[in-house]
Amino acid sequence: MESVKNWKELTPRQRQEERFKRWLNAPGVRFDSPEAKKQYRARVTRFINAIRLEEGDRVPCMLPVGYFPAYYAGYDLKTVMYDYVKQRDAWLKFMRDFGDMDSFSSPGLILPAPALEIIDHKMHKWPGHGVGDDVAMYQFVEGEYIKADEYDKLIKDPTDFWLRTFMPREAGAFAPLADLPHLTPFIGIPIFYLSAFGNRAIQSALKTMMKAGNEIVKWSKITGEVARTAMKAGYPPLSGGMSGAPFDMLTDMCRGTTGIIMDMFRQPEKIIEAADRITPIVVDEAVKVAENSISPVIIMPLHKGDKTFMSQQQFEKFYWPSFKKVLLGLINEGLVPMPFAEGNYIPRLETISDMPRASIMWYFEYMDMALAKKIVGKTNGIMGNLPISIMATGTPEDVKEGCRKLIETCAPGGGYILSAAASMDKGNVANLHAMMDAAKEYGVYK
Amino acid sequence: MARAKENAMKKWEEMTWQEKREERFKRWLSPKNVKFVSREAEKLYKARVTRFIKAIKMEEPDRVPCILPMGYFPAYYAGVTFRTIMYDYAELKRSWLKFIHDFKDADSVNGPALVMPGRILDGLDIKNMKWPGHGLGEEAWYYQFIEGEYMKADEYDRLIRDPSDYTFRVNLPRTAGIFASFDKLPPLRSLQGNRLGLVPALADPDIRRAFQKMIDLGKEYQKWQAVVTEVSQTALAEGLPNMRGGMAGAPFDTLADMLRGTQGISVDMFRQPEKIIAYVEAITPQMIEQTIQMADNLDCPVISMPLHKGDDVFMSDKQFGKFYWPTYRKMLLAMINEGLVPFPFAEGKYNNRLKQITDMPKSGVVWYFDQTDMKEAKRILGNVSCIVGNVPSSIIVTGTKQLVKESCRKLIEDCGPGGGYILSGGAGIDKCPPENLRAMMEAVEEYGRYK
Repeated sequence: MESVKNWKELTPRQRQEERFKRWLNAPGVRFDSPEAKKQYRARVTRFINAIRLEEGDRVPCMLPVGYFPAYYAGYDLKTVMYDYVKQRDAWLKFMRDFGDMDSFSSPGLILPAPALEIIDHKMHKWPGHGVGDDVAMYQFVEGEYIKADEYDKLIKDPTDFWLRTFMPREAGAFAPLADLPHLTPFIGIPIFYLSAFGNRAIQSALKTMMKAGNEIVKWSKITGEVARTAMKAGYPPLSGGMSGAPFDMLTDMCRGTTGIIMDMFRQPEKIIEAADRITPIVVDEAVKVAENSISPVIIMPLHKGDKTFMSQQQFEKFYWPSFKKVLLGLINEGLVPMPFAEGNYIPRLETISDMPRASIMWYFEYMDMALAKKIVGKTNGIMGNLPISIMATGTPEDVKEGCRKLIETCAPGGGYILSAAASMDKGNVANLHAMMDAAKEYGVYK
Repeated sequence: MARAKENAMKKWEEMTWQEKREERFKRWLSPKNVKFVSREAEKLYKARVTRFIKAIKMEEPDRVPCILPMGYFPAYYAGVTFRTIMYDYAELKRSWLKFIHDFKDADSVNGPALVMPGRILDGLDIKNMKWPGHGLGEEAWYYQFIEGEYMKADEYDRLIRDPSDYTFRVNLPRTAGIFASFDKLPPLRSLQGNRLGLVPALADPDIRRAFQKMIDLGKEYQKWQAVVTEVSQTALAEGLPNMRGGMAGAPFDTLADMLRGTQGISVDMFRQPEKIIAYVEAITPQMIEQTIQMADNLDCPVISMPLHKGDDVFMSDKQFGKFYWPTYRKMLLAMINEGLVPFPFAEGKYNNRLKQITDMPKSGVVWYFDQTDMKEAKRILGNVSCIVGNVPSSIIVTGTKQLVKESCRKLIEDCGPGGGYILSGGAGIDKCPPENLRAMMEAVEEYGRYK
């Protein structure tokens, strides 16, 4: 944090303290009322306590809100992807109607569909564009966006690789970027860059990107209001940024599941080299994003490290070493990684418990939470994992009962945030209330 | 090499470097897109290229070939300033065409690609150069590079870790005003997140302005490019080949000239030598790849390589052997192996380097010397490389025609025997009596015939 003097000399713990202070003080935020400010501080304190493995007043709760506000307001995902005003209004309506929550965030993960269309984005399908109008999610389009023999390009000059090899494949409008020359050999002679801009296809790619940029301006102006309004009303954001595991980035974005599986046998050393190469980049990127955020928590959705995808041996060889470096890199900067282990992480518990105390928050999907509490919970906070089936189809009583059990298992001694196993998009708002009620009723520390 | 690769009988990868070079020479001899003005022009073109090829291969051609040190002389010759041809493309064209017309018996002519378009330099707001009317007097006849520590001593790791990221977000804002806002760009290699690429960055008004300006300047660049291409094609059509296909440089110079500056690099050679080596080693394969890619689009396989910081006065032999030569040698070998002809221009003095640079395949490189002792060059390097040079600019600019001719005669006597020599000036000439250039052509005709 540039605002803090002597940042370089601080220990990771001191840096975390500084970031907690900022989260708590929310510099620049003018709260709606003294009550809102009081609530805000109480909520942030609750999360900080959980991270620090302290008990505090009660178990904090992260509601699995997802795209629910869109449906709650009578819209659907497609509508709010195309109509930014409806998006904003739906989120604000949900916030105002719901009342007490420990955190509430803006709908940042809903991409502006008009911009996606302008650039002819190929990596996702979304409602009305590749998947049905009424689908409540987008679909990632996995593929071999980089070829088996292209690891070295990524390793040698990552940004060049991204600009001239990867980007042209991820969106139609970026395709002409493949015709750019490699800029680095011309370093210091800016006029050489310009020769590429005489190329009409590149000019038109830039124009298209600027047109999509207009859309982003509109979108962020309107939806940015949600985050500001939520803060002022006393709802802190839990997450201040997003990051992930280098192996997932190589798999999800670059090689695809099929490709990476082959590589694990045919060219294992390239995977490791590439993961090592992007590790410091991933850390830098997360740190940079966090500079502009209030919350120091970095959510990290994890994909390909789960039990069904790879063996424990492969996890230890390909997945964990670089991911561990990323985690330690973030911790070293005073950030709090919040890995979201999608799928089954039961066999990984011993491996991942090797982390500094009170520095990370593990969020589990499919998990034996008692075991997680026993192994990971000794040193770090955990969160999870009410099955989404109960959230979406159960009664409020079912939800409350599930939460009670989770709290009894995970809450003792602190270090637990109540949440579901994934987000709920459609369902009964009473089930969200039931979860919040459970935290207040069963989660109080004495 | 697209076209040679198609025509070749053998697979490109299986050819020796000499075979690859022969394919490239064939393409140079019969350029596809040139419409010669006459049979005679075509015949002359082929005779001239053949002369150069023989010299490169260290054989005796019909006579010693000559590369006139024409520099920006065409502007002077046409009665306009250098600034005029930088800004006025019509005048650029007129002066070059006049030169082509009046020096028809030259062995080669350079196109005007090195006359940078002034409006584009202005538009980019280039910070590391001065030019006439922009930091230099209106009458100045050259650009002045402004050396500086454009890269700080502690930035090596960042540069090595992701070179293009460094280029975009650190170097560009420091070297051109138009890119000042690029220090606000997010890293382009986004491994995470919304997959909108550069688009969100374009929501920033400053970055948008930079992109809009690039598009506008791109159009201006096209105009300039069209004139340069037209003039270069005219020279070829008139039968005047080009002896410089493309341009490249030495890895160490990129670092020393463009990034760290003389002072910075001198300190680094003592304080952090391993960082210098790590960087030049990292950049070398990229420079090789870029050079070969560029050359594949060219008819002429000769790649001009101006060299700066490896000369006798800048570093010791030991430093040259440690910092400069290993990666530069690698680059030369890679180019040779692709059938290209590296044409290093050793600015300054290379007397102490002559022995070291003999470590190359025979006839692989053509060495062009500025102030090096040519007799010594012939003695030490003459068995390995064709050499080029070096009538002193002082004589060409201020001397008489007789003096120029005399200097040429001496050079031809020292360096001509056995072939492998091309007569030229020690540097490009901007202003001189026109007959002094003609004297060089007369000298090769009179003294340079092989029997």
